[in-house]
Amino acid sequence: MSLLVNVITGFLGSGKTTLLKRLLANEQLGDTALLINEFGEVGIDNLLVEEVAPGTVLLPGGCVCCTVRGDLKDALLGLHDRRSRGEIPAFRRVLLETTGLADPAPILATLNQDLQLRRRFHLGLLVTVVDAQHAESQARLHPEWLGQVTAADRLLISKADVVSMAVVNDLKERLNLLNPSASQAMVTDITSGDDLLLGEGVQGAQAVEEVRRWKLFAPVRESRHSIAQVCCLEFDKPLNWIAFGVWLSMLLRCHGERILRVKGILDVIDSPQPIVIHGVQHCLHTPVHLSTWPEGPQYSRVVFIVRDLDIDLLRRSFNAFLRRLGQVA
Amino acid sequence: MCGLCGLLGEDAHWTDPLGNDLPRRRERLRRIKAINLVIAPFRLSVADFQGASYLVQGPTGRQEMANGLEQLWHQAESILGRALDPLDTQLLDHLEAQP
Repeated sequence: MSLLVNVITGFLGSGKTTLLKRLLANEQLGDTALLINEFGEVGIDNLLVEEVAPGTVLLPGGCVCCTVRGDLKDALLGLHDRRSRGEIPAFRRVLLETTGLADPAPILATLNQDLQLRRRFHLGLLVTVVDAQHAESQARLHPEWLGQVTAADRLLISKADVVSMAVVNDLKERLNLLNPSASQAMVTDITSGDDLLLGEGVQGAQAVEEVRRWKLFAPVRESRHSIAQVCCLEFDKPLNWIAFGVWLSMLLRCHGERILRVKGILDVIDSPQPIVIHGVQHCLHTPVHLSTWPEGPQYSRVVFIVRDLDIDLLRRSFNAFLRRLGQVA
Repeated sequence: MCGLCGLLGEDAHWTDPLGNDLPRRRERLRRIKAINLVIAPFRLSVADFQGASYLVQGPTGRQEMANGLEQLWHQAESILGRALDPLDTQLLDHLEAQP
């Protein structure tokens, strides 16, 4: 059985650890293995813990807590092996905390493309904690901030209590411009069993609900002066999957670093169900067959969040490839 | 493995066929036809090899094997000596000029 991995990211000092501390204190993460950077940071030293393997402890609530010592792949495989051998409780999901300076794309690529990991784990939600107090300077000075925000499925705003309401509202508006399909919430509103944090996203049983959250058909305000632009591509006829695959794989190969996020719902020839695609930079997840269209329009629409890419050229390329290749493939 | 063709198949990739209606080999040939249309202006071509790999050929006769689409683009770029850009305006002119 493939296990769910949800990722918590956020810039240095954004409050990931504070959130995890609070979740652990609730003792409701009994069926979750927590992969963190350092035990000391989360403050589990104060809790009654039992060391079940080197670098792995069992918390009172039943949650398995493990440090990523070096390689993420080794940490995940080690955790899975210990679970298979019955050395640790049979957790149902993994919650992975990244370092504050991590670009999420390579982590997603590792989970998605590594043959050993792909059989054992699948990626659920990517949750980004955004520091309301320092978002402005982090966005200006650190490119990792933008990568973390645009890759997110959920954006949790922290430290809202130390800034004014106007600053929080400006930040919400800004996040909505940069990543309109991510749901926003205040970090203080998250409780430990919350589906906003632990859900399976589009890979799970609630896939239609998740795609509805993406608001793919909402009008997009294209801001050309922002640090990233949102571009929507539409195709009014059922599209040819081979032509689309050739175009997008070629685009991601050549411009993957500039394509921060892609999400879309496709009406594909010969497929009675809509196909959902989503990815971060070079890495695209396995397409999902949705059981039914969410209410609203029923044609193909792909939303890109891009940086330093000519949006008009992207649109022209999409149409040229789809129309021409669709005739031969 | 494909029950009709007996092919072991490539590594899984997101561009793989969505359904199982068509034999995989026929899907591959359709994909190769589409790729050839795109890379022809760069004087490159791709052929099927054993139903599981691609053979990328350049104008000087240089040939490279590729497993999967990712490697195919990589090999095509290494033969070409530059990036294979789907936003290249000359390529788009070529595609738009076709009937």
